Amino acid sequence: MGIADNLDFYLDLAGALFAIGTFGFLARRNAISMLMSIELMLNAVNLAIVAFGAFIPALKDRGAVIALMVIAVAAAEATVGLAIVIAIFRNRKTPLVDEYDAMRR
Amino acid sequence: MRAWLYLIAAAIAGAIITTPALLILILFGGSTDDALLAALATLMLVAALAVVTMKDIIRCGLAMIVCFLSLAGIYVVLGAPMVAATQVLVYIGAISVLILFAIMLTQDKVAPARLVFQTQAAPAAVAAIILALLVALAAAGTDWHAVSARVSVATLALARILFDEYVLPFEVVSVLLLAAVVGGVFIAKREDPDQDTI
Repeated sequence: MGIADNLDFYLDLAGALFAIGTFGFLARRNAISMLMSIELMLNAVNLAIVAFGAFIPALKDRGAVIALMVIAVAAAEATVGLAIVIAIFRNRKTPLVDEYDAMRR
Repeated sequence: MRAWLYLIAAAIAGAIITTPALLILILFGGSTDDALLAALATLMLVAALAVVTMKDIIRCGLAMIVCFLSLAGIYVVLGAPMVAATQVLVYIGAISVLILFAIMLTQDKVAPARLVFQTQAAPAAVAAIILALLVALAAAGTDWHAVSARVSVATLALARILFDEYVLPFEVVSVLLLAAVVGGVFIAKREDPDQDTI
């Protein structure tokens, strides 16, 4: 049995992509880099959903429907997130999140 | 001189991406699906690593497009062509362009020269590796009642489920998208304090 017919391979792939996104979200200083990392994590979850839909008979065809919903919600999230980043940038003149310290002072 | 360097870098990247696929195809006797999946998975992971580690944020955005495209290829291998088409349309066509525009609106010229990572980058890397290992352990240790061959999604069946069983979530998502677009325009709208009239 090759890797293309193995659910565990897809789940490992999704886990690796999610971990890369987690690292980017925790480690990058730029707000837009953090949003891009969130998109990577959403894509990892989507890959896991589609893989479950393809391999588990009880979920037949429903995995793809749920994945489409997740993509639509991710688009909404990206719109609002980027709008917030642009609004903050207009006030603070920097995209770096560690310089957003107005509520700490 | 720079052109030669780019060419060599491209050759090395191509070798890295195709090596697992060729290994699976030749040494382990896998099918063409296996080789395709290995190449796409390698490309996806390399592009994702480039997204989170590269200094120049425009290149991060372009690497993210490569990552989304290879993920769409993986969806095709998985037998979900509708999801792959939506991935290309929404992620590459809409979200990536949105992010590239946001990058161009918010970056200044000196930004790539500055420090890219927070001070907690090393603990974050350790945490991410532990997370990946935990997911792999959980995936290997659980019996998912999975079948041993993947089942393709018929687009007609998908449409029937989407507009019959899932029609309420579908409508809710459409309202959510409208609200998000209106909210995004409202938040990002330029407020000029000198002008009281709209």
